[in-house]
Amino acid sequence: MKEQHLNFYAKIVAAATFILIIAGGLVTSTNSGLSVPDWPLSYGQFFPPMVGGVRFEHTHRMIAGIVGILTLILAGLFIKFEKRNWVKIMSAAAFLTVVLQAVLGGLTVIYLLPDALSVFHACLGQTFFCLIICLVFFTSREWHESKAIFSEEAASIHRLLIITVSFVYVQLIAGAVVRHTGGGGISYHFILAFLIALHSFLIILKVSRADSEIREKLFKNAAALGLLVIIQIFLGFGAFITTLMLPKSDAPLLMEVFFTSTHQANGALVLATSLLLALRAMRFVKMLPAQNTASASNLAADRKT
Amino acid sequence: MQKKIILFLVGIALIGGATAQAATITGKTLFEGQAPAPQVMKADADPNCAVLHPNGLNDDSVIVNNGALKNVFIYVKEGLAGKKFDAPKETVVFDQKGCQYSPKVFGIQVGQSLQIINSDNTLHNVHSLSNNSPQFNLGMPIQGMKLKKTFAKPEVMVKIKCEVHPWMSAYAGVLDHPFYVVSGDDGSFEIKNLPPGEYVVEAWHEKFGAQTQKVTIAADGDAKEAPFSFKAA
Repeated sequence: MKEQHLNFYAKIVAAATFILIIAGGLVTSTNSGLSVPDWPLSYGQFFPPMVGGVRFEHTHRMIAGIVGILTLILAGLFIKFEKRNWVKIMSAAAFLTVVLQAVLGGLTVIYLLPDALSVFHACLGQTFFCLIICLVFFTSREWHESKAIFSEEAASIHRLLIITVSFVYVQLIAGAVVRHTGGGGISYHFILAFLIALHSFLIILKVSRADSEIREKLFKNAAALGLLVIIQIFLGFGAFITTLMLPKSDAPLLMEVFFTSTHQANGALVLATSLLLALRAMRFVKMLPAQNTASASNLAADRKT
Repeated sequence: MQKKIILFLVGIALIGGATAQAATITGKTLFEGQAPAPQVMKADADPNCAVLHPNGLNDDSVIVNNGALKNVFIYVKEGLAGKKFDAPKETVVFDQKGCQYSPKVFGIQVGQSLQIINSDNTLHNVHSLSNNSPQFNLGMPIQGMKLKKTFAKPEVMVKIKCEVHPWMSAYAGVLDHPFYVVSGDDGSFEIKNLPPGEYVVEAWHEKFGAQTQKVTIAADGDAKEAPFSFKAA
């Protein structure tokens, strides 16, 4: 099996994982997490009647099962056909992560959604998504074929992007805390949103003012990040108003379900896009040999891997 | 034989006399102003419920009949410290019928048996959101299924909900004494058999919060009035 086939398969797993993230978000948004009280079976069956909240919870379980099987196959394919050991290890780590995620999902049901477990489950799901995105990138044609671009600004671009990805990941944790505790730590969520918006703006500014090669390589990715962040802020305000300002009822309003679910799903896209941008920049935008002789001399070796 | 009959009659008279002399708190839970119009909730998430409620269900959290507020939980909040009351042997029945809980609000003593029934032709989960007692989340997929649970510690109120049907919610007032009641359709209530003492009586409603009153019972046989009046916030 060729690398491009592994890449294609990893993309399928990434798409399935994104659908799983949406399904998981819908379970939380519709308060359906405990509509199925047992695990791993659902009301003692593989296929319970799909009524009310069971539709969301059991669909989430079924998609999770599919992603688990897809990831097992992915790990098997990578271990057999991938040449780089560190990529093989990463694929195995992805499989272990999805197994841990399934166990965490079961524990959240058995222990009736304790906040800490629910937050951990939410964050691990998106961490798994990041791992798959990494595997997609590491097996891509771009990874293997693109040439390095040497720039004086490489170090500052790397730093800016690493800080941004870190902020987005911490924001993911903060968002999960807000969601699973009914608004806990909302002020930190707002502060991080401001910092991420600022950094997205700085990234676009930096890339658009950089050398034409860097601009050509990274601008679309940076602009996509900026656009997603703007959408995310809009969805975040919608989620804030519908969940924390409007009066609550036992049955969540459709508007509330829409804003909270899309805010979470778009958050996954922000994380993936910022991560991909950082990975691409670190792969292709290199420091000048004068800045870092070692990295320049090792470039040839890099290309082989 | 004649002696036994006389003793039995004397015993009955003593018990009857003691009951007759114990104090009673009566009252009515009133609602001031315009009652909020009930919201209609769609039941189409489950076809089995939609058949029963083709036009949706009325939100039953606020029921006002001629100025009287139904489903207010009235109980003695303070004044019984040091007194112990055994859990009654009678079972409290809590049914899931027509994709609604019946009763919507009820009282139960610590250790008293709660029998949960699923009378519906659909599955339910019964999730208690208690803070003082261990929570439970029970799956009841079969019509006619019955389960029993108890609460370990007092708590006013314990919310019970069904995550399959998000409109379904009920409240249990869990107490370590028997002096509680839920107001009926006409808002009237009666707490019987209270010994003399100074009490704080609380009336709790799901939407309108809680109110308290001090009630002093000087002697056996007293009858005290403790009306409560609620209004929309």
